[in-house]
Amino acid sequence: MIVRTSLLGSTVAVAALSILTQPVAAAPWTRGFVVGTYGFAFHYGGRPESAETDPGADCPRGSSVHFADEENMRKALVQQPWRSKEEIENIIRPPGIEKARLPTYVRFYVWGRAASYRGWRKGIETYVNPFAAPDPGQPQVTGRIADGLNLDGKVKAIDFVGTDGEKGIDNALYRAWGCDAPFRNPASGTLDLRENTQMQEGLYTVVIRITGNQDSRNDSDATVEIGYSPDKIVRDAVGNVASDYSYRIVKSEQYTKLRAKIKDGVVETEQVDRLHVPRIGWFPDQMGDADFHSGRLRLKIDADGRAAAGFVGGYRNWLDLLAENTFAQTGAEQGIRDHEDAVSLYYALKRNADGMPDPKTGRNMGISMAYRIKAVPAHVVDPAKPAQVRRPEEDEKRRKGYEMVKAAMLKAVSTRTVQEVPLGTGEGQFPAMERTIADLPSKDFFLKTLDAPGKLDENGKVISPAPKAEPQRQVNNSPATAVASADGDP
Amino acid sequence: MAAILVCTVFGAGSVWAADNSHVAGLRRLSEQEYRNSIADIFGKDIAVQGMFEPQVRMGGLVATSTAVLSVTPAGFESFSKMADSIAIQVTDEKHRGKLVSCKPKAANAPDDACASEFLGHYGLLLFRRPLTSAELKARVNLAGAMTKSSGDFYTGLRYGLAELIQSPNFLFRKEMAVPAGGKAYTLEPYSRATRLSYLMWDTAPDAELLKAAETGELNTAAGLEKQVDRLLASPRLETGMRAFFTDMLELDTFDNVSKDALIYPKWGGAMAPSAKEETLRTTINLALRENGDMRDLMTTRKTFINRSMAAIYDVDFSFDGDWMPYEFPADSGRSGVVTQVSMLSMFSHPGQSSPTKRGVALMDIFLCEPTPTPPANVDFSAINDTSGPLKTVRERLMAHATTPTCASCHTHSDPIGLSLEGFNTIGGRRLTENGQLIDLSATIKGTTFKDGPGLGKYLHDNPKYPACMARKLYGYAKGVNSEDVDATVFKAAYKNFTDSGYRMRALLKGLAESPEFFSTPAAIQDASAEQPTKLASH
Amino acid sequence: MRLHRRTLLRGMFQGSAAVMGVPFLDCFLDSKGQALAATGQHLPTRFSTFFFGLGLTTSLWVPKKAGLDYETTSQLKPLEPFKNKMNVFSGMRVMVDDNPNFQHWSGNAAIATGIAPTKASQFDSKTIDQTIADVISRGTRFKSVAAAASGDPKHCYSSLGGANTLPADPSPMALYTRLFGPGFQDPSKADWKPDPQVMLQQSVLSAVSDERKDFMKNLGAGDKTRMDQYFTSVREAELQLAAELKRPEIVAKVDIPAAPGEMPVNYALPNVRTVTPLMAKLGALALATDQTRVFNLAISEPGSNIFVPGDPLGYHITTHMEAIDQNLGYQPRVAKYNVYSMELLASVLKELDGIPEGDGTLLDHSLLFAYSDQSYAKIHAVDGIPIMLAGNANGRMKTGYHIAGGGAPVSRVGLTVQKAMGLSVDGWGKGSMETKSAYTELLA
Repeated sequence: MIVRTSLLGSTVAVAALSILTQPVAAAPWTRGFVVGTYGFAFHYGGRPESAETDPGADCPRGSSVHFADEENMRKALVQQPWRSKEEIENIIRPPGIEKARLPTYVRFYVWGRAASYRGWRKGIETYVNPFAAPDPGQPQVTGRIADGLNLDGKVKAIDFVGTDGEKGIDNALYRAWGCDAPFRNPASGTLDLRENTQMQEGLYTVVIRITGNQDSRNDSDATVEIGYSPDKIVRDAVGNVASDYSYRIVKSEQYTKLRAKIKDGVVETEQVDRLHVPRIGWFPDQMGDADFHSGRLRLKIDADGRAAAGFVGGYRNWLDLLAENTFAQTGAEQGIRDHEDAVSLYYALKRNADGMPDPKTGRNMGISMAYRIKAVPAHVVDPAKPAQVRRPEEDEKRRKGYEMVKAAMLKAVSTRTVQEVPLGTGEGQFPAMERTIADLPSKDFFLKTLDAPGKLDENGKVISPAPKAEPQRQVNNSPATAVASADGDP
Repeated sequence: MAAILVCTVFGAGSVWAADNSHVAGLRRLSEQEYRNSIADIFGKDIAVQGMFEPQVRMGGLVATSTAVLSVTPAGFESFSKMADSIAIQVTDEKHRGKLVSCKPKAANAPDDACASEFLGHYGLLLFRRPLTSAELKARVNLAGAMTKSSGDFYTGLRYGLAELIQSPNFLFRKEMAVPAGGKAYTLEPYSRATRLSYLMWDTAPDAELLKAAETGELNTAAGLEKQVDRLLASPRLETGMRAFFTDMLELDTFDNVSKDALIYPKWGGAMAPSAKEETLRTTINLALRENGDMRDLMTTRKTFINRSMAAIYDVDFSFDGDWMPYEFPADSGRSGVVTQVSMLSMFSHPGQSSPTKRGVALMDIFLCEPTPTPPANVDFSAINDTSGPLKTVRERLMAHATTPTCASCHTHSDPIGLSLEGFNTIGGRRLTENGQLIDLSATIKGTTFKDGPGLGKYLHDNPKYPACMARKLYGYAKGVNSEDVDATVFKAAYKNFTDSGYRMRALLKGLAESPEFFSTPAAIQDASAEQPTKLASH
Repeated sequence: MRLHRRTLLRGMFQGSAAVMGVPFLDCFLDSKGQALAATGQHLPTRFSTFFFGLGLTTSLWVPKKAGLDYETTSQLKPLEPFKNKMNVFSGMRVMVDDNPNFQHWSGNAAIATGIAPTKASQFDSKTIDQTIADVISRGTRFKSVAAAASGDPKHCYSSLGGANTLPADPSPMALYTRLFGPGFQDPSKADWKPDPQVMLQQSVLSAVSDERKDFMKNLGAGDKTRMDQYFTSVREAELQLAAELKRPEIVAKVDIPAAPGEMPVNYALPNVRTVTPLMAKLGALALATDQTRVFNLAISEPGSNIFVPGDPLGYHITTHMEAIDQNLGYQPRVAKYNVYSMELLASVLKELDGIPEGDGTLLDHSLLFAYSDQSYAKIHAVDGIPIMLAGNANGRMKTGYHIAGGGAPVSRVGLTVQKAMGLSVDGWGKGSMETKSAYTELLA
């Protein structure tokens, strides 16, 4: 048990009794945890015996599976009035594909390029400019049960009821995104699984430290800290996150110390204007600060202190959320492979945004949401020397590419003017598509008909528009790796 | 190597060819001794890779087995390949500038003078004594022939050097005894240098020690003391003592330790080497840095931990370097090395603690009291039955106390282990077992104590413990079975140890300078070729 | 008749590359007790690797029983005919320590080197097949040979370290041309030369043996016995070297086939099914005729792009896209693709086992190391990547086992492989995967 107190009986027997049965006298105590599960707090309402995507109380029409097959692809493409029927059918089944060396990839990238250009007119890349596409329509969660926290202190008609019966749960993000295939069913939803696997394999580490002066299970004046650790998660012999390891917590103005009350092991922090915690993610570019407005944290600690679970939530700027999710790779990658549609997610966010009103326009810039946390005991210590979370050089280059695309999208949405796709980031599946279709008999049709962020010359070099600066590749779209992994990058 | 001129060749009539000398000991180099010797002779960047033959523990020490083990075909094959690999590196273009002191007249023809200088120099260091002129000539001829066959001088050197490194004269420490008056025999000087060097620094004798042998200094009390003091004062003493304590504390047992991953998932790959290192650091710190009372090894709460050990001990790790000093609080139940993860986990089952195994091991290691093996027909099912009415391991073990055939050994070995039941099989602390509070009391021959600190004090106050350590050091140094050695054999040296307040350096100095240290028995005329005979007294 | 050491050494110092005309007698066994072939000649142990991308489905391939007589699971069924000549390893872990877990890379790179790669698409050391080739391929025409059934010469996981991999022959015709085209020497004719290094090594051993008389002087009886053992070991090494001076005799019964001609080589499963056994047959012939002793075959890259014609997604994309069937608990289409990989492995083993050689088959005298890049491709997991060994390595490897690794590092398999191949090695791998612990229960 990690609870350190300064009073223990002097013999083993007495100490044992005092820990197990009698409340310990008031004394400073510390409890640390390392987070082993960290993801969107989405509640799965499907039936236990049905397939993951089947209808359930949460999503009466089942999961949305954008681009999953020809029928769904067609549904997406017919919304562009400027696409001819021939173009649509050629995209869906590229002629001569069986003659290509990599037919699966030809289809993947052709579909991806097409999905990236769904504007009201030709030539607009709609992951960077989602406002310029008509709403493809994201089915919402219509169930009443959700995980999360009551953020506005009110019980509104639209609020969810928590899985433990608490009323007034604010989790509009769940309503907006919870029926999309990669998010539905945290046990096997692709993104949830990948996020947690990556985190457990060392992509990043989140630690929580709780301190107080009264009693670790009941304390009216405790303090909670949550932040990154530069120390990798240690896994034990069976592959779970190991307990009782020491982790440094990085000091930063970002990390807020929250006041909290603890009752019977349930930790409830105060609600603060700005709560900074690490972001969830499965790629290095997604790392950073999740800036929760009106944020708070709840953690339930088991009676023996060997496990903790709970939520951290608040309102997040929904454009940040959109960018983090869409541009983790390219907009089309997750679209075609994991069946989500970032454009429909944009509209869903806009529709459901319920907080952080813009002082000038009055429009809601934030959406209520929560991260789910599961943690095991750890010794969270302050570093003896200033410590930083190191990121490899490759990751920094990648992050620069991400920031470029995100900046373009933010400018597009806020100014309502069409922005170009920044080259060298891989967005728009450029130049991956051009390179992949090199041996496709019908390649000229696609080179001529499909929009592209830029042009390649015969030697495969990008010629227009002229790249402004040294491209910072977010996604490695060279043919070798594009062939080697659909995710497009190591 | 210091540029001390050492005569590289024995003239005729050297003790190595004398008729009244005999081989008193023949000790195969251990893996660590081999590696250390090569690193000191040729430099640390010469890679040594290969398979070393297993060693065997006798009388509580692996060092003892070096006196009886030989080299199997597979082992020789490996030594041969390693020798060649080392020789290739030493003579390659990257290293030859530094390691070959002369240049050949022509790069593609033999040059006996240069080959002689090279092979004589390294022959001295490798054989730990000068080569005879016949020995040197044979190697120079070999190198010359190899040069002719291959057309390259350095290739010739390589094969000549490789021969030296796989020669029995390198692989075995030959200890030559010469008459010392009356019926007594003693080691000749180079053998003395070798024995001192491997004891103190776990490596081949350096140039200064070899010179002290050459001049006969090591045969004089003053000369011997000068070298002993030099060896003791050097930071390299730590290497030698690490080797000794690794052996005495049986830390190689970790090679065979595995823990049940389902019951104790915390025990991963990093744990064993970390636990070993913790115990070595604690011991070396007390013995050499603090120059402390070695009895405190049983009671000190000071240790050194890394992040992995911090997780088992469930304490904060500071991340200030890989290892940090840590002192257990007084109420932690910890006391000395006997409650460190190493001792607790090496002698324990994969899924549960074993008072018997712990007791047997600690009695043997610290008190030199081994326990006989159990009878062949023992039924272990009762002890392992956690569903029966006997809830704790202790209760089930105590059942042995009532059975006469079992009691004699179990009352000898179990008590120590019972006092350590406050620690699970991976060394973590626990207060209850199966819902019941654990009873940590123990009784040995009328003395009662309880828990870790109780055990620590019992061992600290037991005169058998320092005597056992001294016997083991003596056996380790001389390659004899510590069970056959009594502390009375080196009475004066042992008194030196106790008088000094049980300081390790005092024990080492006392032993090395005692007349018993280099004395050997007379040559054995026994015709039996089946087994090495046990020598009656040392 | 005891062979005198001197017989072997006549003519040593003249540096002549003469063939030693010393007959080998039936009474000779080598120092490991290994039987020599009927003609008295050592049969070299050959080494192969088989790489397949995207792993298997854990709940369908891992047998519940560990040890011998494990049950044949549905995904291991295609390998059933070879079960008693194989070992399968489940639950082996890749520990990346401070390095990222590179998707479709860290797993297979770690299995091949024992080291978690610091850069994607790079190996941090020589791969195991090259380490083995360094020792066993002395004197053969090719140090190692590689082929890729996908048709891409970059699909080769054999490397001297770094980003460069050895080029794979991308078609059966290319492989045939390399092996049996111009430059092919029928080993039963022509002038074969022994390795000159062997002669020089023999001189060294001879000099060691010469030390015997001086060294044994003044030894007590017990020590004499010990040193007798040592010098006997030296003699054994000398005899082994002498054996290497004799031209290898091909004891395999083989016919070199006609050239296979051109054919489509790509990711379409029917083509992979045709090309794989053909490449395996050619590789087996190369091993049997001592063109090489190391053969590497990859049926795909780590994120395998094999597809069934008509399936627009193909293997890799399916692993990411297909939902888990709630009732089955796995991805059904992925599971089908997994089984194709095992069928292809079986077709390779069939070729190796189909070449009779001495008292057994080429497979009996080989070791084949099969492995993948991921254990659960959907999320790029690397815990429990399927690893298999096939062949008895000339009697040095016991087979028929399912080893449940229980989280042991994958490097333990590589270490076991090297020991079975006769390498003198006591440890392998780096970081948390550094190990000195081979699976000794498999080593004969």
